[in-house]
Amino acid sequence: MAELSNQLITYVTFAYMAAAVLYLIAAVSGARRIALVGSGLTWLILAVHTTAIILRWVGSYEMGVGHAPFSNLFESLVFFGWTLVLIYLILELRTRMYVVGAYALPLVFATMLYALAQDASIRPLMPALKSNWLIAHVIACFLGYAGFGISAALSLLYLLTGQGRQPSSPRANALDNFIYQTVAIGFIMLTAGIITGAVWANSAWGTYWSWDPKETWSLITWFVYAAMLHSRYMRGWQGTRLAVFSLAGFVCVLFTYFGVNLLLSGLHSYAS
Amino acid sequence: MKDTQPGRSALELIWSFFASVKLSFFLFLTLAVASIFGTLIPQREHLHVYTKAYGETGARIIQALSLDDMYHSYWFLLLLTLLAVNLVICSLNRLPLALKVIRKDPAAEAKRVRKAWRSFTVDGGVQDNQDRLARELGRVVGKVHRAEVDGGVNLFAQRGAWSRLGVYLVHASVLIIFIGAIVGNLWGFDGRVFITEGQTVDHILIQRGKKLPLGFGVRLDKFTITYYKGSRMPSEYISDLVFINHGKEVKKWRLKVNHPVDFKGIDFYQSSYDQQLKSVKVLLTRKGQEPQEVQLYFQRWSKLPGGGEAGVQDFRPQVDMGGMYRGAVARILYRSPGKQPVALTAFEPGARMASRGEVTFQLKGWDMVSRTGLSVKYDPGVWFVWIGCILMTLGFLVTFYTSHRKVWLRLTPAGKGRTRVEIAGSANRNRVGLQRAMERLEQSIRNQKGKAE
Ligand code: HEM
Repeated sequence: MAELSNQLITYVTFAYMAAAVLYLIAAVSGARRIALVGSGLTWLILAVHTTAIILRWVGSYEMGVGHAPFSNLFESLVFFGWTLVLIYLILELRTRMYVVGAYALPLVFATMLYALAQDASIRPLMPALKSNWLIAHVIACFLGYAGFGISAALSLLYLLTGQGRQPSSPRANALDNFIYQTVAIGFIMLTAGIITGAVWANSAWGTYWSWDPKETWSLITWFVYAAMLHSRYMRGWQGTRLAVFSLAGFVCVLFTYFGVNLLLSGLHSYAS
Repeated sequence: MKDTQPGRSALELIWSFFASVKLSFFLFLTLAVASIFGTLIPQREHLHVYTKAYGETGARIIQALSLDDMYHSYWFLLLLTLLAVNLVICSLNRLPLALKVIRKDPAAEAKRVRKAWRSFTVDGGVQDNQDRLARELGRVVGKVHRAEVDGGVNLFAQRGAWSRLGVYLVHASVLIIFIGAIVGNLWGFDGRVFITEGQTVDHILIQRGKKLPLGFGVRLDKFTITYYKGSRMPSEYISDLVFINHGKEVKKWRLKVNHPVDFKGIDFYQSSYDQQLKSVKVLLTRKGQEPQEVQLYFQRWSKLPGGGEAGVQDFRPQVDMGGMYRGAVARILYRSPGKQPVALTAFEPGARMASRGEVTFQLKGWDMVSRTGLSVKYDPGVWFVWIGCILMTLGFLVTFYTSHRKVWLRLTPAGKGRTRVEIAGSANRNRVGLQRAMERLEQSIRNQKGKAE
């Protein structure tokens, strides 16, 4: 079952590429029908993607090392891709702004492609990772990252289509509003992620907060988005600046997700 | 953010400084940037670690700025304190205003004539229409208030006024979490204890090796590691503990990672384990006598046949001294009656460095015993933190997903037996949601008329 799951994930990845191409063509040509096909395809892939994740979950129990499929980089990337698509499709349902897909789907494809480059084997979990709080923690964090990711996609759209030149046009206003709303989703979920992480740490080690680099970087990200939410109440921080802020926030997200593991452990290794 | 006008007192200036969102914006970004340093520079290391990595000057700068324990440094705590002060003053500043808006008399609101968002006419006079429109407004928004203004009828309804308090819930929750952290730091403790199988402990070690009596005993009956099937990967670490109060066994517990146990408000966590020496079997030889096998215990005296006492002070299961010796080594303390203890080394048979003296020991075997390492915590502040977290989450849902909406319908005679309907509205957030609601209202007002015709 785990093998079938891996197979499906490969198909899913390239199907997302196809969807991304459809959305891009639609965005360039303005053909709504193509966008609708892309959208239908994306819903379909999401279903297969969901199936693949469930199969992997079941497969791990068959192997006697059962655990939720959120435990290593491969699994987390596959799940991150899934949350990105989910948040994007919800946004699309509510706004019918298909052009966002031309920015969101390439992000999804890149995530999944990166996942394919990782070790996909199912490994048993070390005891500290066996916790339901950890499952809640991962789900919340990745929904948060996805909210920020889609917000960054919207921000790119805002900047690349030059909305800043007419910041009070209906389209710019709508985009500004969506950037803010997706950040709000991200912020709530990141907060929930930090809280569930704290509960888990407290049950595993008895400290809800220990300033380790990963924790600290999620807090840094949280501070940046808190600043962004409050910037609404200062004059002149809407529009272009909000979009740039959202992109900067997403850079923090990426660093929290990848950078901490790749770079900081290296920096710290000489100390241990 | 008001302009600073001449004539304002210093106190007012300070107050408005601390009430400003600009300050919190600045503090959020400063905290973010500052926090980065603590993730780049290793924390709480010895000086030589910093000297090695950053040189003498670098290490001195790091120490001067407390970057080696940044998150507990005074300047970092100062930033957090400023944020808290900012939060309190800003909220105190705005809360009265928010309460005023919430409590605003709806009857007075109904009298206001607002700029119309949309305006159209429907069949029938004002009197014929007003009940039906009030019903529609009530359905879409909420309780309707009427007022007659300038020859027309105003209908007003609002919803979610209390949602303006959501932000204050969020802000209060931050303070509650801060309080929890402070309480935990002031009145809590954080310690560790090692217990070997069979041993009972009644105290733990806290910071800097200080001992803290628990007021009860904890005994380890057995320590177990289970493994995943067909693998060397541990699946569980389990300590079978017994809590002993006034000599009575009060509570038995199988302690696992991620499942702490609470006894009298103190939490025990499975955190590590190791193997410790329990006893060694040695061949005791006294000068001019036959060797005898005896058992000696780790860090405990035992009587020896023929007088004197001995115990194991230290033990290494594997020592490599090049060509001289390779094997286990025990350091044994021996004392004969009335004399100072002397330290002797025991090697395994075949060692080329025989020990000489009045008594000698040769190592024949040893017994290891498991030792569990527990973290021991007492944190009276943790409930504040959890309550703060719950309130923060609720506060977010209220602030982001509810809003204070007001909708007005103004009905005026339009001549020829028709009525002009003007829709106006306002919302403190989610204007898109407000628009949708007003569109729905417009639809239902026009549609029903259409059906009636
Ligand atoms: C860690 C601390 C803080 C958190 C988590 C927090 C959170 C929030 C959130 C979620 C909102 C709603 C944002 C929105 O409407 O988009 C908000 C609004 C606000 N915050 Fe904060 N905040 C914090 C600290 C502060 C501080 C220090 C100030 C001090 C000036 C402040 C002032 C405000 C103001 C004035 C609003 C707008 C309130 C309104 O709608 O009337 N916040 N805050």
